[in-house]
Amino acid sequence: MNSSLKLFLRQKKAVAGFIIIVALWLMAVMAPVIAPNDPAERVGRSHQPPTVEHYFGTTKMGRDVYSQFVWGARSSLAVGFATGLFITALGTVIGLVSGYFGGRIDATLDLLTNAVLVIPNIPLLILLASFAGTVGPLAIMAIIALTSWPWGARMTRAQTMALRNREFIVAARMVGEPSWRIIFVEILPNLVPLIGINIVGSIIYAIVAQTTLEYLGFGDPLNVTWGTMLYNAQNSSAIIVGAWWDICAPAAGIAIVGLGLALLNFTFDEVANPQLRSGPALSRWLRLNRRRMRELEAAR
Amino acid sequence: MHIPLRRIGIYCVAFLFAIVMNFAVPRLMPGSPVDGMIAQLGPRATPAAIEAIKARFGAVEQPIWQQFIDYVWGLARFDLGQSVKYYPQTVTEVLARSTGWTAFLVVTAIIFSLCVGVSLGAVAAWRRGGRFDAFVSPFSVVLIAVPPVIVALATLFTFGVSLRWFPVGYAYDPNLDPGLNFTFFGSVFAHAIMPVLTLSPYLIGEFQTTMRSSMISVLGEDYVTMGRAKGLGETAVMFSYAARNAMLPVLTNLALMLGAVFGGSIVTEIVFNYPGLGLTLFTASVARDYPVIQGQLLLMTLATLGANLLVDMIYGLVDPRIREARA
Repeated sequence: MNSSLKLFLRQKKAVAGFIIIVALWLMAVMAPVIAPNDPAERVGRSHQPPTVEHYFGTTKMGRDVYSQFVWGARSSLAVGFATGLFITALGTVIGLVSGYFGGRIDATLDLLTNAVLVIPNIPLLILLASFAGTVGPLAIMAIIALTSWPWGARMTRAQTMALRNREFIVAARMVGEPSWRIIFVEILPNLVPLIGINIVGSIIYAIVAQTTLEYLGFGDPLNVTWGTMLYNAQNSSAIIVGAWWDICAPAAGIAIVGLGLALLNFTFDEVANPQLRSGPALSRWLRLNRRRMRELEAAR
Repeated sequence: MHIPLRRIGIYCVAFLFAIVMNFAVPRLMPGSPVDGMIAQLGPRATPAAIEAIKARFGAVEQPIWQQFIDYVWGLARFDLGQSVKYYPQTVTEVLARSTGWTAFLVVTAIIFSLCVGVSLGAVAAWRRGGRFDAFVSPFSVVLIAVPPVIVALATLFTFGVSLRWFPVGYAYDPNLDPGLNFTFFGSVFAHAIMPVLTLSPYLIGEFQTTMRSSMISVLGEDYVTMGRAKGLGETAVMFSYAARNAMLPVLTNLALMLGAVFGGSIVTEIVFNYPGLGLTLFTASVARDYPVIQGQLLLMTLATLGANLLVDMIYGLVDPRIREARA
């Protein structure tokens, strides 16, 4: 445990990403302490630039952008992370079942996976959302999860198929373990790095999709999130009147989450696939290699 | 041209899925969308149009399979229904107006990003572990994670509103008459710069990442060593030997990403008020113009499937191993 912690701490990018995500979550959890005002309360005049009282200025409605930013993080992060987990769970189960059983089950599930994969997601989301009217966070979660599991399912299926005929699985089958136990106890633990990549990727996707839907006006306007903040700012033509703080705060929030998750994902990718590595260890190795080549040249 | 039957099967299922979604969603959702649409049409609507809307959204006394057959039969005749917002026009007419602009934006952005992303990925893989790689590769992953909304708003604010370098709306200067002259093309070009720059970062990030990882595995192949052994220059080995083969996974990825590109173009067109499919979809969704929203989904699904089919065909042409095997 200690050594894997050290391994993690040596990855600067992963540590940076981890710190960003933890800091944002802390901010969201501590919202009542660090932003005690009600984010929906009118506290000043319309579109005031940042001051000491209102760190991020005010919106068109005279609400405090800072409180909205802090409280919006709660909903945005919670929905994004929960949806990401949900997408991964769905994709992993479908991929495992499809890859393990093979045959007709696999043919059907794989066809379904590929079919949902090629349907453009955002237009489908908009169709569902516009028939549902204004939708709450739960509906947004469900809609996003149901349209975006195939990506993870495909990766999981390929990995499962590679594992299916390994000796320890065959042995488990011969001992007479039931299929569910083989899938979840024997195969699943081997897929952990893959699931990690899948979770981070899905959270990124969920946050992008959620922001897009809310920005287009499908979110619940009374629920303060970064997406609805963008929507309100756009509707009050904040950019045109020069109220950059109104747009910048939520945009920066989303961009920073994206940055943190991307740094984590980059490291996960490198851990799962050492070929892709680019960190300090690799440069050291390349340098040694080059020096040896030079020595060989000189010797000749 | 030979395409595996399985691929065709997948595309058929995907298209059927889109049709079934269009058919089933309005019938499953609580509350009927029909009354709202008829109310919005108001006195303009003819009884025939009202009947058509009722039939399309299931407010008729008919068994469900009969409704479905009618619906599919209508689609087969390119009858996507009446637009509610632009009433006397049909959905086909509304979509036809904007499809060209979106196609123009998306294709330009893809070509631009393909050039940039693939070169960056190839060079990063070639100099793996170097300073270039250490900066560009993580940066690409970040580009993928930033939603197009943010990129669009940042571009609009910086280059459109603050610096005033580029025009901030429409596809061309509304004072110009569309025609085949340089002023008009110049205007179209100037208006497309910001939307294309907004669509590109995500694509560049994706292409760079895919290209880098595929190039890294190609660099280990014997034919690359062979190229070096023949005494070819760095650039020749990098581009004619390694990059050419490493391109194949990028092509596959491109086809799968097209759905996401459409998603990005929707947001981009709304932010820049660009008269493409995305803006049409947005105005339709605000006006609850369901037939247009449905037509949009079918059109975008068709476009994605078409692109996938195209990639399947190009794949055979680009990959000499597949080409030779068939000959």
